[in-house]
Amino acid sequence: MPVARAVSVILLLGGYALAGAQTDAALHVAAAADLQPILPAIAADFEQHNHVRIAITYGASGTLTTQTENGAPFDVFIAADMKYPERIISAGLADSARPVLYARGVLVLWARRDSPVQPLSLGSLRDEKVKRLAIANPQTAPYGRAALAMLESMGLTSQVKDKLVTAENVAQAAQFAESGNADAGLISLNSAANPPLLHEGTYVVMPPASYPPIEQGAVVLRRAHDAKIAHAFVEAVAKVTLQPSGAVIQPNAQPAAAAQH
Amino acid sequence: MDTTALLLTLRLAATTTVFLLVISLPLARWIVFGRSRLRPMVEAIAALPLVLPPTVLGFYLLVGMGPRTGIGRFLTHLLGHPLAFSFSGLVVGSIIYSLPFAVQPIVAGLRAVDPRLAESAAVLGANEGKIFSHILLPLASSSVLAAAVLTFAHTVGEFGVVLMIGGNIPGVTRTLSISIFDQVQNFEYAAANRTALFLIGIAVCALTLVYWRRNAAVTVG
Repeated sequence: MPVARAVSVILLLGGYALAGAQTDAALHVAAAADLQPILPAIAADFEQHNHVRIAITYGASGTLTTQTENGAPFDVFIAADMKYPERIISAGLADSARPVLYARGVLVLWARRDSPVQPLSLGSLRDEKVKRLAIANPQTAPYGRAALAMLESMGLTSQVKDKLVTAENVAQAAQFAESGNADAGLISLNSAANPPLLHEGTYVVMPPASYPPIEQGAVVLRRAHDAKIAHAFVEAVAKVTLQPSGAVIQPNAQPAAAAQH
Repeated sequence: MDTTALLLTLRLAATTTVFLLVISLPLARWIVFGRSRLRPMVEAIAALPLVLPPTVLGFYLLVGMGPRTGIGRFLTHLLGHPLAFSFSGLVVGSIIYSLPFAVQPIVAGLRAVDPRLAESAAVLGANEGKIFSHILLPLASSSVLAAAVLTFAHTVGEFGVVLMIGGNIPGVTRTLSISIFDQVQNFEYAAANRTALFLIGIAVCALTLVYWRRNAAVTVG
């Protein structure tokens, strides 16, 4: 009967698809969105040296935490702060008692070169030409929280409150500014100091004292098939990201200390 | 529950429904009774939002109609602000996103009307406009209601487009679906549950209304 045959074909295909999903031996990494510009290169290098495939999922740290708590198949969680990995640890999902500090995040103000707010400076935050300022969601993204803390400590909260557009994560905040829909964005140095944002705009590093340090932590999850390789990957990331400046900067970029480039 | 988000969502859904009825009635009429050979293509284009992911629409609205394109600059000039991060941006997105939910029921309703009725009216001297407003529309009224209810409900349920072009501004672009997303991300499961149950309630009522009217129409017809 044609219907029976069709059903059995569908069942076979479905079974094959499910089986394929379960036997996937890749290292599954959940990574904070601010790592999107730098992690692929680190992962590619690691893949080559360790003969393992790495599958990365980017998102706001809070989003990834929710997903992990609810059974998302991640082996490693690389967050943008310590709070979320600690939450994973207290939920009993991690294989260590405390997160590995792998980077210190740097908050920058970024704008396109053709943005009306150029030339960019710290004072641009008060500039009336900034009609829309993109930030990451302070509820779920550490860079969003840092942005709000910075604005508060500089006494700008009431002035910019109505200009803020909130992205789901820091990569989307960068995208809002990059696409010109927002006049500027408070984003991570990782995004601003790497292509394409490096070429399309300029950035100013926000005073580190104006926001609580963004200490970024990572944990290996208990469900990891190969804990050794998972820990090795976290170390590989830390080796690149734990530089004195606190973020990865491409060799051709000017140092973060330069207020503008 | 986030009442600001609730009111905004209702306002967005109502605005979208009004716009879409105004657009869809003549469009559906043209699709059913027009003479152009382009009709199947237009019908297909009007159905596109059903099959394309909302991210396609979000991408084009954000980048294609952003400040970096000619159309985007024209729109910015027209509105006084970019389309993204504004209520009007969400309305534009929702109109496109919910278009098939308005057009398809009306097209189906008009097609279901016995063509002999329209022919008789024409023989008796009624012009096309009068036939449409006095014969076809009243006979297809339950379809028009279905279009309105489905458009409203589908707009309430919109998420992807709003996430991409909204900017999560309270009272402007933070709709209920975004509010639920935030609540879940923030581990406020009880609050998310209340909002979600409320939305389920709206959806059940809306769909019940559509099917109840449809069955009533079938029984009478």
